[in-house]
Amino acid sequence: MEPQINDLQIDSRLHELHFTVCTKHMSSTIYQCPNDHTEEVNIESQEKKPFNCPYSGSKCGVTGDTQWLLVHLRNDHHVEMHDGRSFSHRYVHHNPKHLHHPTWMLTLLDCFGRQFCLYFEAFHLRKTPMYIAFIQFMGDEEEAMSFSYTLEVSGNGRKLTWQGVPRSIRDSHKTVRDSQDGLILTRKSALFFSTDNNNSNKELKLKISGRVWRDQTH
Amino acid sequence: MDLDSMDCTTTMDVTDDEEIQQDRHSYASVSKHHHNNSNNVNVAAASGLLPTTTSVHELLECPVCTNSMYPPIHQCHNGHTLCSTCKTRVHNRCPTCRQELGDIRCLALEKVAESLELPCKHMSLGCPEIFPYYSKLKHETVCNFRPYNCPYAGSECSVMGDIPYLVAHLRDDHKVDMHSGCTFNHRYVKSNPREVENATWMLTVFHCFGQYFCLHFEAFQLGMAPVYMAFLRFMGDETEARNYNYSLEVGGYGRKLTWEGTPRSVRDSHRKVRDSHDGLIIQRNMALFFSGGDRKELKLRVTGRIWKDQQQSGEGGGACIPNLS
Repeated sequence: MEPQINDLQIDSRLHELHFTVCTKHMSSTIYQCPNDHTEEVNIESQEKKPFNCPYSGSKCGVTGDTQWLLVHLRNDHHVEMHDGRSFSHRYVHHNPKHLHHPTWMLTLLDCFGRQFCLYFEAFHLRKTPMYIAFIQFMGDEEEAMSFSYTLEVSGNGRKLTWQGVPRSIRDSHKTVRDSQDGLILTRKSALFFSTDNNNSNKELKLKISGRVWRDQTH
Repeated sequence: MDLDSMDCTTTMDVTDDEEIQQDRHSYASVSKHHHNNSNNVNVAAASGLLPTTTSVHELLECPVCTNSMYPPIHQCHNGHTLCSTCKTRVHNRCPTCRQELGDIRCLALEKVAESLELPCKHMSLGCPEIFPYYSKLKHETVCNFRPYNCPYAGSECSVMGDIPYLVAHLRDDHKVDMHSGCTFNHRYVKSNPREVENATWMLTVFHCFGQYFCLHFEAFQLGMAPVYMAFLRFMGDETEARNYNYSLEVGGYGRKLTWEGTPRSVRDSHRKVRDSHDGLIIQRNMALFFSGGDRKELKLRVTGRIWKDQQQSGEGGGACIPNLS
């Protein structure tokens, strides 16, 4: 039996239709749905509900369905789209010591006839410099759970692999980041993987590769 | 004095009985210092400097503290030598003749030391190397034959020795769990994980491939965030540690985190490896998520294995090892 709802999965699970919400096991980050529960059960209204633009920079207020958002992301935010279920990116972080606010990068992935957002972000977790990478599904939670993904960072004889379930873009990028639901590593750890060891003070070069899977059992 | 001769009685230039006595004394003391190890005598004799090396080395021994003297070496008006550390403590009196001590430096002795070559002090542990007097100390701090420190992660245990000795010491004195085999499956349980203030940790020793490995599991604060970390150390030197790889995995409920890396040598202290984040690090929230249940108790299952790495880059200087993917 699946575990009780907890902080990490709470936002993905909220709209699961057959799952009774048990307030006893939830903690304080419960989202209050703007509509009441009975309306959530209505599949039709859920499908029509627009998504927020997943670009997490300036608070972009654009909403729409996934097709519209894809066009918006490419044209207005100049986000790159990558075809195929596996990918390999090299992230270069100039001046990793001078991190004043989170810096991040968004890439779109197109596979299985669907689209996914790949985020890579440098941020501080209570004063500790960290990096996180995760994938979000451009669609609803229920369909998101039919996929899984892996992310891997490697270099210098070391490898860190994360396997997870993509969160829906109904969850903001910040929510997923703060729940640490992704490949997460400290900057010191990242230095072990960095392929540019000679220049460790200036730049951080991380090679991150990954794959998206469609779960056959769903 | 005939430098090439090992036998005092055949020296031709000796005119002083005292010198002959000193030679005999040095020859005898070679055996004493090197524990009648025939290897040492052969090595020293090969350089042809057996009695001279030892007598000069003895001259470089401070009469007060008996440590080897390094520049600046001091002497009194009568020529008695003293190391710089002891000079500050003798209140301007030569400890040998009680005369007033000036600021005379014994430059000649310092220069003679330059040509002195001595075996590493870990020679009896197997080190075959010979070093000039001024670089010997530096070598001895990194000599591969030097004894290891106890790898126990708790209060600083000062026990030293070779690996078999330390394994028995960990087992008998620190009561560390010993496991045979190269795979593991551990469940770390902790009630009330939120109450952990200071670092708490666990050490298990694994015996496989004829070697010993230390698996560390630890809870600590990273900056201000609570984390758990697991990592492996190899009981041996770094070059040999690179022959092995290990993996650690935690997961549950659709998510999994896997770490693969090279074990660090126990020459690197437990704290140094921990603080370099060279291992599997899990934020406490994620660890509690993997524990399932009501997230009040940590029940983290960590699986892993150790294997021998067949491919090695062979490059020096800690350069990139071929990408495992």
